[in-house]
Parts: sequence; C-alpha cells; structure tokens
Amino acid sequence: MTKILTRICKWIGVPGAIIVVSCGGLTWLIGCASNKPSGEVSAGAAHPEKSGAQLWAENCVRCHNIRSPGSLSPAQWEVAMMHMRVRANLTPEEHKKILEFLKSSG
Amino acid sequence: MNRSYFSFLNRIIVCGPTALAFIVIPLSVSAQDVNSTSSDYVSRAEYDKLKAEHEAMKQELEALKATVRQMATAPSPGAAPAQPAVPAEGPSENKQVVTTTSTVDELRQEVDALKLQIKETFPGTTKFLLAGYGTAAFTARSGEDPFFDAAFNALFLWKLTDRLFFEGEMELEFEDEATDLNLEVAQASYLLNDYMTIGLGRFLNPMNFFVERQHMNWVNKLPDKPLAVYDGIFPESEMGAQLRGVIPIGPTKLEYAAFVANAPGLITESDDVSEIGMLDFDNDANFGGHVAVGGHVGFIPIPEVEVGYGIQRSKVGPRDQAVENILQSVDVNYVRDATWLKGLINLRAEWGWSHVDHFVYDADGSQGFGPLSFNNNRNGGYAQIAYRPTHLDNDIVRNLEGVFRYDRINQMHTPVGFDEQRWTFGLNYWVTPSAVLKLAYEVDDKNGGARDQNAFMMQAAVGF
Repeated sequence: MTKILTRICKWIGVPGAIIVVSCGGLTWLIGCASNKPSGEVSAGAAHPEKSGAQLWAENCVRCHNIRSPGSLSPAQWEVAMMHMRVRANLTPEEHKKILEFLKSSG
Repeated sequence: MNRSYFSFLNRIIVCGPTALAFIVIPLSVSAQDVNSTSSDYVSRAEYDKLKAEHEAMKQELEALKATVRQMATAPSPGAAPAQPAVPAEGPSENKQVVTTTSTVDELRQEVDALKLQIKETFPGTTKFLLAGYGTAAFTARSGEDPFFDAAFNALFLWKLTDRLFFEGEMELEFEDEATDLNLEVAQASYLLNDYMTIGLGRFLNPMNFFVERQHMNWVNKLPDKPLAVYDGIFPESEMGAQLRGVIPIGPTKLEYAAFVANAPGLITESDDVSEIGMLDFDNDANFGGHVAVGGHVGFIPIPEVEVGYGIQRSKVGPRDQAVENILQSVDVNYVRDATWLKGLINLRAEWGWSHVDHFVYDADGSQGFGPLSFNNNRNGGYAQIAYRPTHLDNDIVRNLEGVFRYDRINQMHTPVGFDEQRWTFGLNYWVTPSAVLKLAYEVDDKNGGARDQNAFMMQAAVGF
C-alpha cells in the first residue's frame, strides 16, 4: 500500500495525490453507504432545514443570475438540473429540492 | 228488405264513428286524469302548490344557467372547485350534474398530466434540452482596426436515464475571416452514486474555476476574458476521464474533481519565436503519448464563499526528451445578495502558475534561434468586483451593474518577453436574468517595450 501511494505521489505530486486519494476514497465510502437512485435524499445529508427556494437562490447565484422557474418547462428543468448537478456539484438533496421547487413554481 | 237493410247499414257506418268518438274521448281523458292525479279534478290548493313548484324550478334553472356561464368564462376550469349551483335548500339533482361535470374535467386534466409524465419517462423522447448562448460584440483596440464580432454556442443536453447524462457543446465563431466550428464539450456522465460521477470524453478543465463556471458570455461580467486563466496558461478543455462529486460535511460542502487526460504538447518548433516553450492545448492527437493527471478541490464553508485549488501534472515534449509540466491554480469566490448592501455583490479572484522544466530548444540551431534553453515559468490571474443594486425600486437602476477587474500575466522571462496588466471598468444592463448589454473600457499596460493597447468594448450576450 505504501509503495502504491509513493508511486502515485511521484507521478502526480503530493497535492494531486491528496486530491485523488482522499477525496476519491472518502466519497466512495460515503456513496457506498448510501447508494440510492439519483435524486433520493440520503440520511444525514446537509441542509435538512432549507427549502428548495432557498437552496435554489444560494446555489445558482454563486455562478450566475437566478433564472425564473417559468423560463423552462418541468421536463426541461429535469434535464437542466441534471446538468447543473454534475457541473456545479450539487448534493442529491439540493438537486431534489431545487428541482421540486422549480417544477412546482414554473 | 234489402233496401231497408242497406239503409240501416249505411246509418251505422255514418253514425258509428261519431258515436264511438263521443264514447272513447271522454274515456281517454278520464284515463289521463287517473294517471296524473288521484281524483278527477285539480283542486285550488294543488294548483297553487304546482305553481309554486314551477316557480321554484324556474329560479333553479336560472341559477344553473348563471353557474354554467360562470364556469365557461373562468380562466382555468380545473383550478376552482365547483360552486353550488342552486340554493342549499333546493333539489340537488342539477347541482350534482354540475359537480360531476367539474369532477370529470378535473379527472381528465389529471389523466392528461399523468400521461405526459409517463411519456416523459421514455428515454429519448422529452429528456432533451437545447441550451447555450449567443454573442454580438464590438471592439476598438488601439493599434488595431475596430471590428464587430459574433459567436454562437449551442449546448445539447440529454438525460438518458436518472444516472446517465450526455452534454455536447459546439462553438461557432468568426476567426481569421472564416467561420470556425469547435467542439468544446462532448461528455457522457454516469452517476456512480449520490456523491460520485464519472465523465468520459471532452470536458471543461475542472482545475480552472473560471473556465468551468464563468467563461460563458452571459455569465462573464465583462466583454473580454481575463489574462492567464482563459486562453493563457491553462487548457480550456481536457480529453479523457474525470471523477467528480461533492461531499457534504455538516453545513459545509467539499467539491472535488480528479481527471486523467491527454497531456498538452510542447511547442519546440515555430515561425514565431515567442511561441517557443509554450504549451499546445489543442493536442488532441496526444503527440508525445503523455498523460496528464489533475484535479480540483473546492470548499464551501458558507453558501456565499467558495475557495478552491487545482493542479495538473504531466510530461510534455518529445517522448525521448520529455520534461515536467505542472499547472496550479487557486480561486476565491464571494457572492452575496444582502439587504444592507441593497443589492448583489460579486467578488472573484483566481491566480495560476505554469511551470515547464528546463528544455533545450533548437539544439542544433537549424531553426535559426537556438540552441535556446530555459525553464518556462509563467503566472497570472485576475481579481474582479461587481455590484448590482437589486433591492432598489427603480427598474432601470436595479438592472444596472458596475464591474471592475484587474488582470495580469507575468511572462517576462520567456520568449514572449513582457508582462501585461489591465484595469477594466464595465457597466452592464441586465435585460433579463440571462440577457445582458455590456460596455467596458480597458486600460492596458505592458512592460518590456511592448505597446499598450487600451480598448473600448461593447457586447450583447444572451443565454437560453
């Protein structure tokens, strides 16, 4: 194991190794512990108290202006939100709540 | 005898029907009376009662008509519950008819909605979205001819299943008197679990926050893009595979991305000597056969703040003379919409470093500038602040946004031979949340004897 880590560190550098190994391993463990279909809320996820509207405002505005829920149809929001889930690294809870808000408010 | 017989018969034929009529008609009338009442005559009390019932029914009919007219003119037939059509004390048959009709309409709408939802679950039917952005611009830069410009980026998004997703982005732009078509993104993503997604194909460079999140013209606050981090020392996109996701840690979040991709090429031959030692990020054929490994970590302690660090490492250059290349970046973002600010404040900064190990260019002197040997170290980035008074009542003022950006690239000790810094002042007007008109003036400062090029820029950008 030490030999493998040494080789990884030599190949991608210490910062890169920290990124790949620690984040990958931790995420894999968390993901395996709560392997559910996309959009389902895992137990113990962050922001249990925040509404979809609040999460929508907080997450979207971090990169761009907030677009009106009525600017896309519910079916289109499903696709757009999956895109944003990947691009903006949304948690499943954020994805689910924001999507529900957008579909119900459109 | 015969005559009297026929005379008698004739009288019977003529008078019989008349007599029969006198007998049958009263019997028939009597039979009808028997069916409708219990007696032969309608009493005054019965008549008054019938009249009262008749009047009540007329009133109920008018009420029904009014209700039907009201329902027919209502904006959303299924939105409002059915109203009572008749007085509560009246007969309920007509009321039930109206209520049933309304219920049937509501049921029909629900069935239609369900049908649509079921149809939407079919892969390849409605899980597609065409998005993107378009740009029209004008630039007047000192020392160059002013010009108009236009570009169009189409983003194709497919959600194939709840886990499988594909995105493709094509860019159409004018360059060197021709229309260029570039494939910016072509990536299939699969959600391995709630916190991990694998992507394969061509994707925006995850280690560069500006490229991945801010470079879109309807998102970027100024008509042009900052030095160094865009079209500078970092690649815009990578061809390979990435693993990315997010880890919620209490109220905070840790974003991560790790990737392997084709390594950049090292420019060792060029007619333009200033390009020697630069990295060629369009190395789609992966000349040299090297692999780049990298990633990005972003931490969001509170919703308004995000800090990140990115790195990419690879060998570059010919296989037998490959040297080390390391790209690194740090980024900080603060976005807050607050009442005490009376608007939205937007602070962003990113700085990057590029290092290419010592390499001997034109070792035999055949290109006329060598042998030339150096470490290629460059760095640069930007800091930007934008403010929009979104809480003011005036519609025009609250759609205005002021922007200031400082950007810089240091490359004095490379064949380029100068550093450059710029101060850009901009004023935006947001027509819609994704449509903006931008005006900006840029003050340019280059050292090393290079000419400064101030610029006036206008841009209209629309995201869709």
